Amino acid sequence: MRTDASVPPSLATALETLRARGLEMRRGSEEPMPERGRPSVPTGHSTLDAALGTGWPRGALTLLDGPAGSGGTTLALGALAACQAPGGLAAWLDLDGTFDAAVAARLGVNLEWLLVARPRDPGEAVDLAAWLGRSGLIDAMVLDFGLRAAPDRRALDRFGALIARSGTTAALLLSPAGRSVAGAVAGVRLALRRTAWLAVGSDLVGQRVHASVERHRWSQPGGTAELDLWFADGRRTDSLAPALAEPRDIEVIAVERAALRVVSA
Amino acid sequence: MTRLLALVWPDLRTPDADATRFPRMLDALDDLSPRVEAVDVGVALVDVTGLGPTWGTERRVAARAVMLARSVAPLPVRCGVGDNRWLATLAARLARVERPGAPAAFHALPAGTAASREALRDLPLSLLPADAATRQRLAMFGLTSMGQLAALPRSAVGAQFGAVGERIQALARGHDPRPIVARQRPEQVAAGATFETPLDGIGAVGFTLRRLASDLCDQLRARNLAPGRAVLIVTLEDAPALRVAQPFPQPALEPDWIARLLLSRLEAVSRARNCRAAELTAEDPRVVSVRLAFDRLTDPAARQLPAFEARAGRWEELRWSLERIRHRFGEGRLWQAVVERPTAALPEHRSRLVDIGP
Repeated sequence: MRTDASVPPSLATALETLRARGLEMRRGSEEPMPERGRPSVPTGHSTLDAALGTGWPRGALTLLDGPAGSGGTTLALGALAACQAPGGLAAWLDLDGTFDAAVAARLGVNLEWLLVARPRDPGEAVDLAAWLGRSGLIDAMVLDFGLRAAPDRRALDRFGALIARSGTTAALLLSPAGRSVAGAVAGVRLALRRTAWLAVGSDLVGQRVHASVERHRWSQPGGTAELDLWFADGRRTDSLAPALAEPRDIEVIAVERAALRVVSA
Repeated sequence: MTRLLALVWPDLRTPDADATRFPRMLDALDDLSPRVEAVDVGVALVDVTGLGPTWGTERRVAARAVMLARSVAPLPVRCGVGDNRWLATLAARLARVERPGAPAAFHALPAGTAASREALRDLPLSLLPADAATRQRLAMFGLTSMGQLAALPRSAVGAQFGAVGERIQALARGHDPRPIVARQRPEQVAAGATFETPLDGIGAVGFTLRRLASDLCDQLRARNLAPGRAVLIVTLEDAPALRVAQPFPQPALEPDWIARLLLSRLEAVSRARNCRAAELTAEDPRVVSVRLAFDRLTDPAARQLPAFEARAGRWEELRWSLERIRHRFGEGRLWQAVVERPTAALPEHRSRLVDIGP
């Protein structure tokens, strides 16, 4: 004799169950399952990789959000170098013409496999990035808008949709005015804040940056990481470095190694 | 017996000369003889052996060659005929115009070893391709003419001047073993389509273009060849024809890529022409016919770079997209950075950008 439990549910019952579950999910009562194993590009920092899940997610726009001199460019260059290491191709879209190839090379970027694009305006930059993404051959790209305004929201939306299909990871470096627009579109938003300088003797050799994942579409936000970003040549001699980045009141917080001192930011 | 015609265009041998006409002049000379060699820019050798019954005397053959070359570029030319490379070139050097303003000068050295040697006998040694030190030593021995050098025993010249001396003595005797190396005429494969009802707009040729490219690629694939350049000519109903010459980033047999690249280039050319005309017409130009030609044919298997570096293959593939981006956005957008002075104080002095060309 068959019990009730062994009786298969009728089609109507099964459909009702599925519909209810779907409605429940649409109402948001169930947490969407995080996407596991999403392909990613390493950031070059193990702690940041852990905070982001596995690294910069592929097929996503990532906003590096921080004031000038907080290490966004260095972090982006490090990501390109890490992406190139296993054989990837990278692109840097340089709107203001401030890309310094020598610094990039010292941070490990292989210039032979780096495409530098010089668009005329932010709108063209997004179009050009979309064309590059559509090729499906660029693994990582950085859109450095410099001090220019961000492109309009619709252009970024279109770009984000295209990037999602291409599997390219794209990082945005924006002025403060453009971050509100891009922040809503970006799949990942990483807030950067300098917490200290790193010095050897009287030379500043790097900076300690606090990175916090404020938004992540495919993983839990809220992860943080302390990053030590080293200047390319060990000294801050770059005349393009913003004056704000110079330390004002130097106060030694700690001596970490024999010569390395952590200085107040 | 071989007879060679040397043609020298002095105006093409100057540093600022427009050398792009020279290949077309050689193409024109192909109509005279199947064996034409480009010795250098502005110097050509044509094998004229056996052309007498067709064209007449050597002077008439040379006149025919001059006429063919002048159909491309009306430049003054020196013609010389001889039994070998050296004698033909020397004859061209000795040629003098017979009247002021004549388009060509002609000189022929007689055929046959003995006759050639006799003709060279009184010529000065300065005509021989020898270095200054050798010439000075020849003068110290009291040798001033080719006949004097030719009359010496070969072993004696070899003992004094070495291999160089033996070589210039052979030239003084009228011997030159170097054969003519005929150039291979650049091959081109072409296909075309004519529309009974003209197509509306440039974009409408995309399908036809893809089909033509596919046919030509199939032909070439069967011969294990791949094109390095495509030339597309689109004939329009009420406007001059559009011509697009597109070198490929690499020899390719991908009709889809080729058609897309050509179409984007064609649209760019059409757009530029409309801008120049400064008049916006409501109607697109109507296309009457399309002709697609592939040239610079090479063996696709010769490309082995991706075998050594996988990324190189992807980068080459990327160049197709870059070509299309170049057409879409214009020049000056895509670069590669090269570090020149990494320790320079100013960032702009540390590196430079190199345009990514086709």
